[in-house]
Amino acid sequence: MPPRIRLQTSSLTPLVTPSTGYICLACRHASLATATTPAPPLEQTTSSTPPIQRYPRNQPPSHKPPEFRKTQLHRQYQSLLRSAPLMLIFQHNNLKSTEWMALRRELATALRKVDADLAAQDKHDLLAADGIKLQVIQTGIFASALRVVEFWNPDFSSSSKPHTPIHPTDPSTPTSEPIITSTAQTTDPSFTHGLSAHAALTAKKSSRRSKHGLEPLLSGPLALLTFPTVTPQHLKAALSILSPSPPNFPAPRRKANPSYHEPAVQNGLQKLLLLAARVEGKVFDQEGTRWVGGIEGGLEGLRGQLVAMLSGVGAGVTGTLEAAGRSLYVTVEGRRGMMEEEEKGGKEGEQ
Amino acid sequence: MLTKYITSVSAKFSPFNSRSGKTARNFLALLPPNARSTMAIDVQMLGQNAAATPASLALKFKDGKEMSLDLEKMKIKEIQVEVDRHSRVLRRKEELAG
Repeated sequence: MPPRIRLQTSSLTPLVTPSTGYICLACRHASLATATTPAPPLEQTTSSTPPIQRYPRNQPPSHKPPEFRKTQLHRQYQSLLRSAPLMLIFQHNNLKSTEWMALRRELATALRKVDADLAAQDKHDLLAADGIKLQVIQTGIFASALRVVEFWNPDFSSSSKPHTPIHPTDPSTPTSEPIITSTAQTTDPSFTHGLSAHAALTAKKSSRRSKHGLEPLLSGPLALLTFPTVTPQHLKAALSILSPSPPNFPAPRRKANPSYHEPAVQNGLQKLLLLAARVEGKVFDQEGTRWVGGIEGGLEGLRGQLVAMLSGVGAGVTGTLEAAGRSLYVTVEGRRGMMEEEEKGGKEGEQ
Repeated sequence: MLTKYITSVSAKFSPFNSRSGKTARNFLALLPPNARSTMAIDVQMLGQNAAATPASLALKFKDGKEMSLDLEKMKIKEIQVEVDRHSRVLRRKEELAG
């Protein structure tokens, strides 16, 4: 008869005592032994490892993500505003691509003609036709870039900055040292590039107080014609193509330039409005632009006029200063002549 | 904006006026690419000194109605509403006429 109380099978198996198991004594010794690692280098014992530079030196962090198109356009417009001393601002009202093409073609031929004339006069340093571009801009981004260019003047001289000479790759620099390029804050005021958050905020703040003059123009569809130098000759050619006004800036005659009178060019011209010009940071309206374009002989002509004016002034001053002496001389000479005559008359009277 | 029934646009403004200049330029930018072939557009731009002079925008429609819009007070949305209101009437008439 089997037992009434059922026993678990596990309780029936005999317990294995640890003393009975196999013990690897060598392993136990090995686990207790200390690892023999090489000693750390001497510099590491005296100072900690240097902090990591998070940004390349030539790519400091920007206010908006750098991979966005608007950030790159902002940078591009800033460099355009800094590098182009003369730019014309146009409004383009729904121009078709064929009209843009035709206008650019006419502009390029006219500018090349100016270049050929200048080259014929041996003025090779004034050639600028290849650098003159007509481009459509994103108005809002351009307005922001203009604010930064106008109102944000970073102090590029490193002496005035409170910048301590911490270098991240210097081994004596402790890890905990905050370095501009290792901190993740983009608002650090020591970033001096135009895309930095500091630049954007400073420009925004100061644009509330002061104006650059182009604010009312920066809305709607805009296009820019940018010149790499201030050249009234090229400006005159460009104005006579893009915004002709009969007495001073006549459009080319149909006989001289038949392609200018094609419908594509003419339709495009009707839809292009010259709004203003920005010449070396100053804003000119239409008439001012025409005045700049009307400077005869370009900047050299202007310099010649100035020299002529100044030399005329010099001659006038010397004349005025000489006048007193000359009149005295004349008076004295006259008096001497009179006395001589009197003497002569007296002698004749005696005889 | 319905520009089909406009026959003539004459605008006189200074782009340096931040209110009327912007509105006038926005209106001109709303006209379609072939606007010059369907309507007479006369734009007169004033200089920087004349920024304070009142701007004017006058439209003529196909039925002969003349509309002169006050650029000092109206914004571009209100101008659109005004133009559309009359243009819709003309469109309705045209549809009914066949």
